[in-house]
Amino acid sequence: MVTKTEENQLNRLESQVDNGGSGAWEYLCLVRKLKLRRSDKVLKHGLSILNNPSKRSALGPEEWTLYEQVAVAAMDCQSLDVAKDCIKVLQKKFPDSKRVGRLEALLLEAKGSWELAEKAYSSLLEDNPLDQTIHKRRVAMAKAQGNIPGAIEWLNKYLEIFMADHDAWRELGEIYVSLQMYKQAAFCYEELILSQPTVPLYHLAYADVLYTLGGLENLQTAKKYYTSTIDLTGGKNTRALFGVCLCTSAIAQITKGKSKEEKEGAQVQSLAAKVLEKDYKQRAPDKLPQLTTALKSLTLSS
Amino acid sequence: MGSSSGDLRYELSQNAYIKLVLHSLNHLTSAVNGVLIGRISPSNDAVLIDDAVPLFHSHLGLLPQLEISLMLIEEYFSAKGLNIVGYFHANERSDDYELGGVAKNIGDHICRYFPQAAILLLDNKKLEALKKSKDRSAVTQLYVRDASKNWKLVHSEGNNRFSLREPSANLMLLDYIASEKWQGIVDFDDHLDDISKDWLNPGLFN
Repeated sequence: MVTKTEENQLNRLESQVDNGGSGAWEYLCLVRKLKLRRSDKVLKHGLSILNNPSKRSALGPEEWTLYEQVAVAAMDCQSLDVAKDCIKVLQKKFPDSKRVGRLEALLLEAKGSWELAEKAYSSLLEDNPLDQTIHKRRVAMAKAQGNIPGAIEWLNKYLEIFMADHDAWRELGEIYVSLQMYKQAAFCYEELILSQPTVPLYHLAYADVLYTLGGLENLQTAKKYYTSTIDLTGGKNTRALFGVCLCTSAIAQITKGKSKEEKEGAQVQSLAAKVLEKDYKQRAPDKLPQLTTALKSLTLSS
Repeated sequence: MGSSSGDLRYELSQNAYIKLVLHSLNHLTSAVNGVLIGRISPSNDAVLIDDAVPLFHSHLGLLPQLEISLMLIEEYFSAKGLNIVGYFHANERSDDYELGGVAKNIGDHICRYFPQAAILLLDNKKLEALKKSKDRSAVTQLYVRDASKNWKLVHSEGNNRFSLREPSANLMLLDYIASEKWQGIVDFDDHLDDISKDWLNPGLFN
């Protein structure tokens, strides 16, 4: 995940390079480091370096990393000829390389030659049964072909081996949400919270899923995780603040004044509402009237 | 309320249309959605879609953000005499023409408040072909609910059920795409991450 400083740095570099300034290599390194998907920009700026012999040789051994990065970006933008050329260069420099072999298989994927790609990956896996990237490509291929149940199956198999891969758990959680399989999504976020309990995003996602599932117990738990998100983010997370208000209102509609927790709940809700109103007043004043009305309707129903 | 959904026309304004397509172009690798804003025509025979608000580009199937956004959006537009009259959805994969569960559920929810609500699904093939074809029809598919409340695709070739209000809308769209105007589009996800970002996108059509 990307921090705010990294995001700002990236955006600054991106607009600098887009406007003809320097720093293309710095930008490309940052994109690679943060594992971002900015394929059109990577393709454009990467090619400008690669097509310039002096810039290219100035990179030294990093030249090959750039060829790889541009090849992948080209495939993402369906510029398959560019990708082919980059791969050819790499094949010449590193014959019999497994890493280049992965790129070749990726190119088959990009062309839509699923069976050939599957064969290529299988044979690569024979020599490297624990290559995470290749396992993940299997999931990606299933997804790309619209075989979501297949993707889920592959991803679950992957997680049995690589259970500490947080990105994979997140991907699985997102797939489950898109299929409205909320219980299974909740399980994924539980795993993430267990392994990284101080990452507020997981608390927030878990709370969102629980709220969506509904029912008194889930709503009460969701509220707890919205408040823990607020704790972990120093009270600054708008979604969590809204979440608290929504939960309190929904819980009150179910319990209808029969619960003792409600007075306490109302306090947390009005606190959250106050924070939201203050924030909107400061940063989005033209949206304040709608916010006030919405919050009123949420507190009235609780 | 006038005629049933079986007779109604649906007319999409240029601004709403361009906003929704640009939103999907801003998030090429994920599914996106949005709501349609409008009213019933004075003659009671059409739903006029005057505007649109892009909603999310991640976790479309989660309720909290959806509920908040609908509350705030409905509140804003009702003061102008407009309602949420439909839903826009663009699938994650370019070759996916299925109207999925999430889209149908959100559409059903909107129908509770506006029974003649429609769903527009982005047609990626048409969008891609737009640069070469001189097609004036929208790059979206229209779905309405039948009498048993199932979402059905409306074939508008030949009849008048779905139209773009401005005949040059596609030319404008291509223009906006060429100048990469999709870069600045703010959706509700962006707003919730940073409330200073305005989901009304006021500067978009200046």
